[in-house]
Amino acid sequence: MALQDYRAMMERCSTCAGCKFIPFDKIKSLRFAENCPSIGYYNFMTYSARGRFQLSQSLLDGRAQLDDTVTEAIHTCTSCGYCDVGCKVTRYNLEPLEHNIELKAYAVENGKVLEGQKPVIENLKKEHSMIPGAKKANRTDWAKELNLKDLFKDKAEVAFFAGCKYSYDPKLQKMAQSAVKLLQSAGVDLGYLGAADNCCAGRAHQMGFFNEFKERAEANIKAFETAGVKIIVTPCSDCYHAFKRQYAKLGLNIKVLHVVEYVDQLIQEGKIKFTKEVPLTVTYHDPCHLGRLGEDYVPWDGKEKKIYNQIQIWEPRRPRYNGAYGIYDAPRNILKAIPGIKLVEMERIREYSWCCGAGAGCNESNPEFSAWTASERITEANATGADALVTACPWCKDNFVNAVDENGNKIEVLDIIELVRQAI
Amino acid sequence: MAFPREIYQALEDIVGKRNISENIGICETYRSIPSQSSAHYGPSEHWTPLPQAVVLPGSTEEVQNVIRICNKYGIEFKASTTFWATMGYIGSDFAIQIDTRRMKSVKIDAKNMCAVVEPFAIAATVQAEVMKYGLNINIPGVGCSSSTLANFSSWIAFGPNSISMGQGSENVLGMEWVLPNGEVLRTGSLGAGEGWFCGEGPGPSLRGILRGIFGAAGSLGVCTKMAVRLHPWPGPADFPTYGTVPAYKADFGPNFKCYTLCFPTWEAWARSVQYFHESDVAYSGHRQFNMFGRNLKGAMLNIITDADKQLSDLEELVNDPYIQKENEKMKLDYQVIIAGFSERDMEYKEKAIDYILEQTGGWKSEMMLEKDKHDYALLYLTRLGHKNLNFVMCGAYEGTFGLSSNVWKTIQVVEEAVALKRKWEVEHDSIAATGGDSAMGSLSGIGGGGATGWEFFTNFDAYDKNSVHGTAKFVDGNQEFHNKYSFGPDFCRWNSDVRHMNGYNYTQEEHNQMFANAPQPWVYAYQYKIREAINPKNLCGTYFRTVDPKCLEK
Repeated sequence: MALQDYRAMMERCSTCAGCKFIPFDKIKSLRFAENCPSIGYYNFMTYSARGRFQLSQSLLDGRAQLDDTVTEAIHTCTSCGYCDVGCKVTRYNLEPLEHNIELKAYAVENGKVLEGQKPVIENLKKEHSMIPGAKKANRTDWAKELNLKDLFKDKAEVAFFAGCKYSYDPKLQKMAQSAVKLLQSAGVDLGYLGAADNCCAGRAHQMGFFNEFKERAEANIKAFETAGVKIIVTPCSDCYHAFKRQYAKLGLNIKVLHVVEYVDQLIQEGKIKFTKEVPLTVTYHDPCHLGRLGEDYVPWDGKEKKIYNQIQIWEPRRPRYNGAYGIYDAPRNILKAIPGIKLVEMERIREYSWCCGAGAGCNESNPEFSAWTASERITEANATGADALVTACPWCKDNFVNAVDENGNKIEVLDIIELVRQAI
Repeated sequence: MAFPREIYQALEDIVGKRNISENIGICETYRSIPSQSSAHYGPSEHWTPLPQAVVLPGSTEEVQNVIRICNKYGIEFKASTTFWATMGYIGSDFAIQIDTRRMKSVKIDAKNMCAVVEPFAIAATVQAEVMKYGLNINIPGVGCSSSTLANFSSWIAFGPNSISMGQGSENVLGMEWVLPNGEVLRTGSLGAGEGWFCGEGPGPSLRGILRGIFGAAGSLGVCTKMAVRLHPWPGPADFPTYGTVPAYKADFGPNFKCYTLCFPTWEAWARSVQYFHESDVAYSGHRQFNMFGRNLKGAMLNIITDADKQLSDLEELVNDPYIQKENEKMKLDYQVIIAGFSERDMEYKEKAIDYILEQTGGWKSEMMLEKDKHDYALLYLTRLGHKNLNFVMCGAYEGTFGLSSNVWKTIQVVEEAVALKRKWEVEHDSIAATGGDSAMGSLSGIGGGGATGWEFFTNFDAYDKNSVHGTAKFVDGNQEFHNKYSFGPDFCRWNSDVRHMNGYNYTQEEHNQMFANAPQPWVYAYQYKIREAINPKNLCGTYFRTVDPKCLEK
């Protein structure tokens, strides 16, 4: 699709404010009622999904131009997808997230990108990683001691895909190693792509760099297929979304699991048993791309039709991605299964969870905005009285680790796999 | 006209660099196109003017200083909150838009049963905060996504709860108001330094001037803080919601019940409404789901209460024999919520409803008592968090007919209005064919009971120009119906005399021509005097209807 293909949605948006607040039925307080980091930080209407719909109309009609201010507004969106959830509480035919990303692609096509995005994309092209400075030659260093099968040389049921963040960040590599050891100890026949392991490029898609995404995605799909992979397991929520939703559109037909889904399943099957108590009160942060954006892709090829004169429907029935069936229960099941863990919930959870701020490369391109977004979440986590904030995404964890709440307080940030390993 | 640097700099000095923009792309997102919002002056494809700048003040003092700059340089200004309604946008080229988003505090005085709110505190957040104290607020029919302060200061603001809590004007206590000349006016007890608890005194009682019954739609300056009345809430401290998005539901426990009451005739319908006006039984009363239309509401209720259903299922559901049967039973209906402050109170209210039904030959919809539908409707009407379903079918709607009157007067003409709309639905394809009757609104627009507040939801497609133009013609036809019965302007024409169809203000000369010959023209002359006193440079648009008294003296 191109930007003009969203024109009907732009004109049918009714400025209802659903894209800026958590579902109104779920509001429990003034403090944690809002849910769009972008307008939350910048305040101008332009930064909301509604504003973006209107900005697009102005750009297409030639009233507004892609100047620096507009370019920054377009790209300052974490693609967290909450606007989609909020919108679809009452509107069934609008796709604000798709539009936001298409608007970014429109800017990219016209050469309008942010300075902070350039090294990310350049490194993707050159080193096949979206972490600036990361070298392809070092990508699999984290796995050296793990006895993982190289799927181009050996066969295994399951491909473990660590993703860039776990592969390169020295602070996070041990999480990937822990996840592999955990699965191996539960008897999972595990391999990886070895030299063919490359960035999923999901974040390039979130940033509107469609060509760069497509190039990497097609290469990765080919690698998975050549290696005969049956199941992909990843501990990274961004990779998960990329494979499950974006690669699926390009033809990937391989089962994709986030490691929390697999671990939950192994616990239920009795293949992972806990022997130690972990006396902690924790709160869980739903990563956007595992939660509301973690729904299954359903192919659809149809068109709009009007019934009863003007009521707009999709023919055939179109899948609705509104976060209803994201991955929310698996991580909570794991936490509840660990002896000693007490789970307390924040106000913004599940499909209306607040973003960590790292989405769509904003941690690189707009670090102040990204840090503020994380700080908001730390404030919310600390309001629960929890000892630790647990998540299931390396981007979220990394963004939270250095963040402080509105009072300058930190909170311990844990990867869910760390807790599982502690309890075994 | 180019915006001089010295003005921009002066405004930036007040609100700070982060909180002002004159970038065209940013300012473009502060324009409204009435066909994309219910503007109450008919569908129009024109954008409101482009602001010279958008400013986001963070305090009353900043608002005051911004307005002083506007006075100094003769700049029109308009403040808005959530920017839903076209009335919140500027109406001339040399104007700035004030976005009050940074001002959203809620301070509760539970003892005196009031809350002091700032402009961007939407009703959902105010309600969420006051529920913790066993209190509630009137949420107008526009829904909880809108600003409590904007509704209560600037528009009518009645809704489901108005039968027990009153409309906007009945809920206003002390106010802090930056007048268009830059002065801060504190009304009611606040003006006497006695706190926020009273709107009338001790202290200046200017509620009638600043808002009247309809509100001045932002044309008399900027209300920056307002104390609103709070009302008893016998429910939980927060909503115990359940269900899958978007079909959220809640069970408030045994002391709440939401009924859809149905009647065999409009006469029986009206008598039942009168009983509710007289009995103080209803916590909320609204004809809500008829907004989907007489023919479609049963099917739509089955869509919106089921997370897996969507509009593509509509035709199949409309043809479902069970839904058809239930739909027919709900032809002349409305919803009421009863809330028991004790077990005995609840028993009394249940008996009162049974008595009302017995006296009127009415019945309770069984479909709407199915748990998922009951709990959905209860949550829906209590928070009004799904009000934007107004737009779900076509993407745009305008309220027409607006039979806001004594129920006995209303029911005499309602079926004629239904037939008129149905005829248009059948003979034209510009509006959604929902069954003619799409009348919805409050059982009472004022506290305790009285005139209903109705509109016929007329759904159209803002993207389809034929639909927009056809709806505009339909609106013209409605006005003829209203003229026939001397009902005055139709609901979708309520604002036709305040803004041109192209989004621009009327001139004073144009208003003089309109209102010199209106019924009771001295009202508008009086308003002219008010405006002269507090808005001498006429800087807030033309939503405040005025006529120069000289035109009448002639």
